Amino acid sequence: MRTGRRAIAVTGGRALLTKIAARGRMIAVVCAGLVGAAGLNAAPAAEKNSAGAATKVALRRITESQYRHTIADVFGPGIKVEARFEPERREDGLLALGSAVLSLTSSGFEQYFALAGSIADQALSRKDRESFVGCAPHDPSKADDACARGFIAKYGESLFRRPLTESELQSRLKAAALGANQSGDFYGGLELALASLLVAPDFLFRVEMAEPDPANAGQYRLDAYTKASRLSFLIWDSTPDAELLAAARSGALHSQEELDSQIRRLIASPKFEAGARAFFADMLQLDGFGNLVKDPTIYPKFNQSIAEESREQMLLRAVNLLVHRKGDYRDLFTSKDTFISRPLASVYNVPFASKQSWATYTFPEDSERSGILTDIGFLALNAHPGSSSPTRRGIKVLEVFMCQATPQPPANVDFSKVQDSKQGTVRGRLLDHMENEGCSGCHRRTDPLGLALEHFDGLGQLRTIENGMPIDVTADLKEVKLEGAQGVGEYLRNEPRVPACLVRNVYQYGVGQKTVGRDRPYLAAQTEAFAASGYRFPDLVASVASSAEFFKVVTPKKASPAPIVASTASPSPPIAE
Amino acid sequence: MKSRLTRRSVLRGLMGGAAVSVGLPVLDMFLNGNGTAYASGAPLPTRFGTYFWGLGLTDTPAGGTRWVPGKVGAGYEIMPELEPLAAVKDKVSVFSGFRVIGDGRANLVHWSGHASILSGIAPASASRFDGPSFDTKVADAIGTGTRFKSLDVDASISRQPVSYSTRTGSTFASPDVTPLALYTRLFGPDFQDPNSDNWKPDPSIMLRQSVLSAVTEERKALMKGLAKDDQIKLDQYFSSVRDMENQLAVQLQKPEKCEACVVPSAPREMQRGASVELVNENTRTMAKLLAMGLACNQSRVFTFVHTSGASETYMAGQSKIYHQITHDEPTDAKLGYQPETSRLAGLVMQGLGTFLTELDAIKEGDGTLLDNSLVMAFSDTGYAKIHAIENIPIFFAGRAGGRHKAGQHIAGHGDSVTRVSLTAMQLAGASVGEFGSGSMKTSNPINEVLGART
Repeated sequence: MRTGRRAIAVTGGRALLTKIAARGRMIAVVCAGLVGAAGLNAAPAAEKNSAGAATKVALRRITESQYRHTIADVFGPGIKVEARFEPERREDGLLALGSAVLSLTSSGFEQYFALAGSIADQALSRKDRESFVGCAPHDPSKADDACARGFIAKYGESLFRRPLTESELQSRLKAAALGANQSGDFYGGLELALASLLVAPDFLFRVEMAEPDPANAGQYRLDAYTKASRLSFLIWDSTPDAELLAAARSGALHSQEELDSQIRRLIASPKFEAGARAFFADMLQLDGFGNLVKDPTIYPKFNQSIAEESREQMLLRAVNLLVHRKGDYRDLFTSKDTFISRPLASVYNVPFASKQSWATYTFPEDSERSGILTDIGFLALNAHPGSSSPTRRGIKVLEVFMCQATPQPPANVDFSKVQDSKQGTVRGRLLDHMENEGCSGCHRRTDPLGLALEHFDGLGQLRTIENGMPIDVTADLKEVKLEGAQGVGEYLRNEPRVPACLVRNVYQYGVGQKTVGRDRPYLAAQTEAFAASGYRFPDLVASVASSAEFFKVVTPKKASPAPIVASTASPSPPIAE
Repeated sequence: MKSRLTRRSVLRGLMGGAAVSVGLPVLDMFLNGNGTAYASGAPLPTRFGTYFWGLGLTDTPAGGTRWVPGKVGAGYEIMPELEPLAAVKDKVSVFSGFRVIGDGRANLVHWSGHASILSGIAPASASRFDGPSFDTKVADAIGTGTRFKSLDVDASISRQPVSYSTRTGSTFASPDVTPLALYTRLFGPDFQDPNSDNWKPDPSIMLRQSVLSAVTEERKALMKGLAKDDQIKLDQYFSSVRDMENQLAVQLQKPEKCEACVVPSAPREMQRGASVELVNENTRTMAKLLAMGLACNQSRVFTFVHTSGASETYMAGQSKIYHQITHDEPTDAKLGYQPETSRLAGLVMQGLGTFLTELDAIKEGDGTLLDNSLVMAFSDTGYAKIHAIENIPIFFAGRAGGRHKAGQHIAGHGDSVTRVSLTAMQLAGASVGEFGSGSMKTSNPINEVLGART
């Protein structure tokens, strides 16, 4: 039972716990109120499971794609979700990390509020309304608490990813009764109750909870519902389904055996593909395509559908190789197999004969196109409106695939040596950067990889000449010399930091926490297991999800006077080039 | 909120059963004789907004300034890059020579400048502010009586929406980025024409209020046991909920008549592109809509982004972006500045000129909307080639209802930018006496531009 319990700030160890308690930071429990006897989902196990002092350890705003997947899973794929979502935020390369620091602004909430009304309206206007609601009211023109209660409890649990407390139920029942009586329509009342679930912070944020670990006195563990959410959002990018919630309710999810069996079930589900797409869209930083623009005179072939389809192409490539074919992750950088659409075929300058909108395509052996770095999506996204950008491409190769952040450029750089380069290739101009003391540290790292991709212009079209000069695509990294896009692909395929970076990203994405130094042995072990599996992505996801570290409780930051953050290199802002 | 709970269905329900009485404040508003106030005696409201453009203006160490007027005080001369402001010059004050003082914190390129101007604190990391942006304080002070506490607009056509308005320092406002989105927000289905003669309250709004009360009832339980950072996040969430509640409450009241309010028609879809020509065109369309939104009393506060810090804007057909040119272009020895950079700066300033002209085009009382506004326009850098955070160009446009002694050039002589920010807050009507931290802490506004309080 949750009533009257007391919670304490979660800490890593006993000593700290004692100290904090002594400082009087004991705080009352959050979820006061009994789960009512009439609540459909208020199984006794839920109460047993939440016994002890529970506390909140994290608040993660759900992403747009998590929102969409949840609505589709809970209310059916026919529900239209039409809204402009609040911008997300990338931290250390991942939106999943940014979501842990984001709140909601007024205009963002306004959108969610409108969306909640629209979704509730659609959900309660459906033909199979009675079976959707789960009961019929005594009089459809009046409030019916018993029927409304069942409905609110059922959908509340799916949306909040845990059973509602009695007071949460009561406040929605009140809205339902008011709406029913004033509109003379029972379902109108339900609409209000449902809308209020959809705008609640418990839905719009993932509230992660921890509880004392019965197996280790003084230690904390994530509660079973939080574990269920971590699993389903990692593997499906969506809310837990009934079966997973049942495993949380009974507490079975705390056992390794049940956990592994749930992971197997989740990965075997067709929804794993959606989960993998969401992960790669995040890791590959594919969120910039909606607003990608190119100069129409320089790149006349570019338009919005090219932008959107080049994004889709990258996802199709990744999901096909890694999920459908359970292929070797490293082949992502060298594989000549891709998918192509009619508009894309014109940019790639290859024939398109299929009657479908997408067809498989394999580039010839001697083609410069090989691997995901030669997809126009990567090349066009990491370029300027009117030109390519070796620096930007180089930075992104390092950041996205090797987890290597590039520091901010120095503020007061002497650019006097940098000459205007309307002539010749961009290489000459960048060589100036590489020779400049203030710039060279970074540009020597970033530019060679980008320069090797210079046979592709700002839209990703093949070219060998710039301003009448042949383009040199050789590159000199510290330890290796490489040539052209194929060379970069081969380099990444054999670079051990590449799979290690994927491992780190899967883990960070799932837990919503940046890894730190002491996670290194864990990440190294996971990387080793990943290699042993033949670099199979589904095995990696399963292995991370099944590990104790995936559910480790991290002490929330203590109160600080101002939200001042460490000055880590941030990937998003400006780059001097 | 789209809903089957329409005005009609709710009224039907009301007739059939439980009655709800709706209070109707009767506020027949007309202007008083001298056109400075509503008939009730309430003065025409002062509006406040920020306008941001990226990459500063040209003022080189070689002495080739293209924007700092030689004359200090009233009657400054129009410098080449200020040309687009000539038409509204008498309503514009120019601030030169103000700087960011980092107290040892690094100059984070294209970030420290505006972060300091807006939050008063030199930021520790790029992509966050270390405090709220001050426009939110002004919005809290003067923005609660209208449907929207603040309107955030981004005309830059960037990859990600750009806004520098923040309450937490990490979550930034979610701006409207297309004319159609801005139009729909302002004049879409939930808009109530203040000049309509047959205004009736929509009872379904009260039902929508109940959706929110179920959420606010849980506030206390939710806030408990949260770490500090998470409390800040939830605080902002609930403040957003309150703004929505306020929006609904405003819609249940009969709106004051606004003489200047003429409901515009829906804009056409614009052409997407980042060239400065397109951004300026977008700026004009969105400025028109925004100005009418202000005139129709939908909001009193706004933040507007023309181009972002390290913006991607460029001259159509050119392969190099403006940002790149500011760094790469050599300084012309004869001219003492970078000619191409200065040309682009002039084009970017056309955006500001256009913006202000649109505000000035709306007659209100015996002046214009711009006369009843204070727009603080500023950039991220001074001299962009070296990412200078000294001499960041700042302008005040509009007379703030008579409080701003406009048309002056103020030379800052290395004073902190926060003095300008503090002055803006005070002119806008926020009772703030002190702003900034460390060496940028100030309680010393720029008295030269502060007129008598009305």
